[in-house]
Formats: sequence, structure tokens, C-alpha cells
Amino acid sequence: MKEIVIISGKGGTGKTSVSASFAVLGGKDVIVADCDVDAADMHLLLKPDYEISEEFYSGELAIIKQEDCIKCGKCKDVCRFGAINIIENKYITDPLSCEGCGYCARVCPTETIINIDLNVGNWYISNIRTGSKMVHAKLATGADNSGKLVAQVKNKAKELAEKMNKKYIVVDGSPGVGCPVVSSLSGASYVVLVTEPTVSGLHDLKRVYELVKKFNLRAGCIINKYDLNISVTREIEKFSEKEQIDKLAKIPYDKSFTEAVIQKLTVAETDNKIKPLLQKTWENIKNKINETN
Amino acid sequence: MKIVFTAKGKEWNSPVDPRFGRTEYFFIYDDEKNEVSIANNADSSKEAHGAGPKTAQKLFDLNADVLITGNGPGENAATVLNQTGLKIYVGAGDMTIKDAYDAFKNDKLPLFKAKK
Repeated sequence: MKEIVIISGKGGTGKTSVSASFAVLGGKDVIVADCDVDAADMHLLLKPDYEISEEFYSGELAIIKQEDCIKCGKCKDVCRFGAINIIENKYITDPLSCEGCGYCARVCPTETIINIDLNVGNWYISNIRTGSKMVHAKLATGADNSGKLVAQVKNKAKELAEKMNKKYIVVDGSPGVGCPVVSSLSGASYVVLVTEPTVSGLHDLKRVYELVKKFNLRAGCIINKYDLNISVTREIEKFSEKEQIDKLAKIPYDKSFTEAVIQKLTVAETDNKIKPLLQKTWENIKNKINETN
Repeated sequence: MKIVFTAKGKEWNSPVDPRFGRTEYFFIYDDEKNEVSIANNADSSKEAHGAGPKTAQKLFDLNADVLITGNGPGENAATVLNQTGLKIYVGAGDMTIKDAYDAFKNDKLPLFKAKK
């Protein structure tokens, strides 16, 4: 069982559209994991049925038990996040500002502050129309994605893949280069970098590739909307060559991406000129992975 | 020599955990004494952020000579471990602990070196 992680560094390059297309092209062979939890949108394309739902806890929140509070204000003085407010003569923590560091609890003379585990949302196992399953999550308002949540989603996907004897896990990775991305990459078999020919697209591609290199992972690049700026496309190709990144595909700008989204479908399911390109790319990725062994 | 595996279980035929920071267990084998011990890493894997460095600290406390894992630690954890002289071997993410040990003995596992 192989894990294909799709990342982009920059947002808006078409990462999720590509990931969801691979999920459809791979069909029954693929378990899908949506680890782009901050702004999850794969569910719009794959319409999961939320068959199994579990609460997810990550981080902590300080709670001040009012009955023992002597209103000394020490907690408010030491809180560097400004998370403790006086409301109607009561000291109360603001869940959106509290980082759960525990400093207030440490200085409280009556030990009336406790940290509770924070419920930051739910994770789900769903059936999707490809005849397979998808693992995904939804964060509560103001909650943060974390390496822990990504690890949870990926571990569940892996368990399912093993149990159901699936060949591939397609992971829609997290954006940026932080903790969730490190967690997305950990345990991966192959990385697909989806980029676009803009200055920030190339900049963020280089940045995220630094991370991929730390894990010594094999990677391939898809340049989406390549014809929008041929000179940056050439720069991306030069960079890929220098770093020995597999050239997977150059996809022209095409309205079929948007048209598919409007119909709540992937580009791999509507009639357009991008579809055969993606089919070829998916076959290509499978060959590259099987070569590695 | 003390060899530590990131592990999903506590037996020789348990799979290697391909993750470093959020590995479930450390499977520790002392080949001079022929002794196996287990260290639980559940507390590190419960961290929302920064599981890698925390796990690296634990590994340092175990006083290991060799680590065998999947892709290898991330940058923060690697920075810590590089100071310790620990040798890290990767590419065992799909193996059982037994198979990973045999591969290591036969020089089949690549040494982890973060590319610059």
C-alpha cells in the first residue's frame, strides 16, 4: 500500500481539484484523506456521506471555576495572550484567545484554574461515489489545524486501506510549510507538487520542496495553468530539473476546472480536454511509485 | 549496541511505524545483551504541535546508538538528533521490525542524511 501526498506550498494552484481527480481515477483502489483541514473543500467535489463521526480533541483551554475564585487578578496579569477578561466582575477566559499554556493555573493562589482538553471539531469516515472511502475532518470556528489532527486522519486512512486491501492512499496535503505539512509528509511514499507559473507559486514551491528534501522523498511536479506565464513555467522546469523532481504534467489553463466545480464534480468526470492529461498523469505516478520498489 | 525502532507494536513481527514524532512505541533491542524493551510514546503523539522534538528528547534519554524508522525525522527533530551522534537509518516504513533488523544487518537500509 502506497501513500501519495499532494501538496502545493501556495494555495489556489489546483491541488484539491487534482487530488479529487486522482481519487476518482483511482476509484476502488484508493482511500482518500483530506488533510487540508483548515480550509477543507474536497467534500464539495466528492460529496461524502459522513457515515462515521468522532469528536476530535487537540490543545487545551483554561477554565476558571468561579466558586473558588478570589478575584486577585494574577491570572489576568500573567496571560500574554490577553485571554482573560473581567465580565460582570468575574474573571473569564476567552476560548478563542487562550493558548492553553497553563501559566494562569500555575500562578493561581487558590488553584481554581484547570486546563481542559479542547474539542476542536470532528473527523469522519465517509463513503464516496468512487466506491471507496474518504477520511476527512471539520474544524470548529477559530480552531487550528495541527500535526496531531493530520496524523489522526492519515492513520485512520491507513488502517482502512490495510483492512480493505487498497493499493493507494491519496492525501490532499496541508498548505504552507508548518507542522501540519510535516505531519502530512511523514510516512509518505511519493509527493506530488502542484504549482502554477506565478512568482509566489514558484517561491512557495521552492520553500515546500526544502521540506520534502528533509524527508528524502521522491517527488514529481504538475505545473497547472502553465500557459498563463511561459517564462515562469520555464523557471519551474529548470528548478525541477536541477532538483531531479519528476516532470509529471503541464496542464493548460482551462475553464473546465471551474465548470466541474459548479457541477460538484471533478475534472476527471466531465467531458473536457484536461481529463486525458490527468489520466496519463495518474498512470505515470503509479508507474513511478512501482519503479521505486 | 542499542538499536531503537519506531514501532506500531511490541513484538518482533509488529510493523515499523513509518512516522518518527508520532510513533506509537519505541522497540529497543540491545544486541549485546540480546534484550528487548519497549518505551511508550503515546504522550508525544498527543501533542498538537512539536511532537518531533519531544520524541527526539525521549530518544536521547534512551541512550540509543542506532535509530531505524520510515522517512526519518522532520527538520526540528533532526537538528536535535544531529547533536547526539545517533545513527539514523530510514526506508523501513513498510517492514516488520524483524525484517528491518535483518535489512539493517545486511547494510540494506540507507543512512538518513538531510539534503542541504
